[in-house]
Amino acid sequence: MRKSKWIVWVLLAPGLLIVALTTTYPLLTALYFSLHNYKLTKPVDWAIQVGGDSFVNFNFSALSLDNYIQAFTDDRFINSVVVTLEFTLVSVGLSVILGLGIALLLQKEGFWHRVTKSILILPFAISPALKGYSWRFMLNENFGIFDKVIDLFISAPLNALINVWNALPFGDIPLISMNLVWLGDGFWALFMLALSETWGWAPLIALMFIGALGSIDPHIFESARIDGANNWQIFTHVTLPILRPVILIIVMLKTIFSLKMFDQVVTMTGGGPIRATQTINFYVHQVGFVRGLDIGYASALSYILVVVLTVVAAGYVLFLLKPDYNGS
Amino acid sequence: MHTTQHTPTRTVTRYSAASIRGLFWKWVGRIFESGAMFLVAVFILLPIVWLALTSLKPNEVAYTTDVFFQPTLDNFRIIFSNSSIIVNEGTNLQRSVIGLDMWPSTLNSIIISSATVLIAIPLATMAAYAFSRYRFFGSRAFLVWILTTQFLPAIIVAIPFFTLFRTIEVFGEPLLGSRLGLIIVNMAIVMPYSIWMIKGFIDALPVEVEEAGYVDGCNDFQVLVYVAFPLIRPGIIVASVFAFIMSWNEFLFAFILGRDTRTMQVALTTTSGVNGIMWEQMAAAGMVVMLPIILMTLTVRKNFVNGLTMGAVK
Repeated sequence: MRKSKWIVWVLLAPGLLIVALTTTYPLLTALYFSLHNYKLTKPVDWAIQVGGDSFVNFNFSALSLDNYIQAFTDDRFINSVVVTLEFTLVSVGLSVILGLGIALLLQKEGFWHRVTKSILILPFAISPALKGYSWRFMLNENFGIFDKVIDLFISAPLNALINVWNALPFGDIPLISMNLVWLGDGFWALFMLALSETWGWAPLIALMFIGALGSIDPHIFESARIDGANNWQIFTHVTLPILRPVILIIVMLKTIFSLKMFDQVVTMTGGGPIRATQTINFYVHQVGFVRGLDIGYASALSYILVVVLTVVAAGYVLFLLKPDYNGS
Repeated sequence: MHTTQHTPTRTVTRYSAASIRGLFWKWVGRIFESGAMFLVAVFILLPIVWLALTSLKPNEVAYTTDVFFQPTLDNFRIIFSNSSIIVNEGTNLQRSVIGLDMWPSTLNSIIISSATVLIAIPLATMAAYAFSRYRFFGSRAFLVWILTTQFLPAIIVAIPFFTLFRTIEVFGEPLLGSRLGLIIVNMAIVMPYSIWMIKGFIDALPVEVEEAGYVDGCNDFQVLVYVAFPLIRPGIIVASVFAFIMSWNEFLFAFILGRDTRTMQVALTTTSGVNGIMWEQMAAAGMVVMLPIILMTLTVRKNFVNGLTMGAVK
């Protein structure tokens, strides 16, 4: 560490200026918008007439909390909050549990372990927008591969068993047939959205866990085994407690990303059926840019999201800056 | 096992009930493990492989789950052509299809992502170097501030910039719906991330080399350019790849602020025709979006976990 010199500020200035301009400026402006009644009253074609201020109807009212008050009586917004929380709960839970499972499965040495480990990185390369489309395609009720896979792995074996049972004189059980339209049903659409998110994140989380598991001193496991612990006891009494900080960090990180979900909603479900998959971000976009053009209200709603995110992010940052965990 | 054939007496002791049970469970475990690994692989690969297969399918088999078909590159021709073209469908069927003209959006994506990287990475490197090597007033507070900007929802950046860009013209062109506008807002996600990531790389380097530079009579600037920069370069390359991937995959800004300047991500949405989404064309566009990023991802594999969590999980 060297002492401060003028050169520090030369190095810092451009970077900090850009961060301030692109994050702090909009944050403050949005706060201002959210406290006023600000609507883009002229519909869609403004961009063509840009050249002066005349097309912008600034109509700023006096400072008021109307937008925030409106939010708490807006059924659609409350619906979006519930949807976002449900989505976050399911996607975080599935991603972390599946990620940990994959990590435990693949941490051993072995050819096939290595091969499987090397494909864990692939879902990261798929953009969220494309992820949404590819899942929507797979879930298609007429020609989707997903139904075929379910048939192969679940329905077919079960039906075989049921056929055997029906051949016996104990009464008949109806065969299982898949005729569910996944994205046409509110519950399943949200679940599939969370599953597509899990598809993208579980492998990444597995990679993080594999790294964390690899850094545990193997002697700890050995001595636990010498003390007579079985695999399950080692997992619950040794591995999990050691991984606790990593699990906490991953849960917080994933929660933040889940709360911000937007891209896949647009490309996979479009918020539907009805409003079953409208996350907060999606609803804000609807309010601000699609239906109401109500920038003030949209800003207020996104501010509510920011407050929720700040709580989680504060925990994350405090945890990261703990000196014993990370030297930064 | 060969030895057991010659010594039957020992075989009896070897295959006691307990050891057979042990062997049995060992194999059950192994089979279970292989099965689980196979399921993991299927889960991860299925969406990607299915997309790749569909992109090569002619229209007539795209809407089936067949895996045997005559592969064709027609879908790629369709998405990149800007006029009506004739494609073969099966044996003697020919059909005229209107192209989706995705060259402009490909070009937009390349220009926007490259420009974002070229602007963000040098500035982020400078800032990261200052954070890593100097102690100054407010350094910790600035770092935390930069870290927290990562958690902003993109929509709150998009709303004010939407209203701002409508009122600004650059060279007679409105900023709203321009590449420049998208490059500017991309900074909001790329810049803080790059600063933290590059700072992590610089932190990991021993400071002694730079000190030797000072001893040899370099000033701060010379140490940075001639001593530190060559050492940081691998880290900078990794950060650049990450920054490129982030701006390439960015959707929300391009969707809201891009207007007619479509990036590849937004161009995916143009595969909807009158009969709904043309899936075989969407799949082809998806492959074009995905393949460069898959190649890039492979180059940053080693730094991947560290990069994703900004050094939180080591």
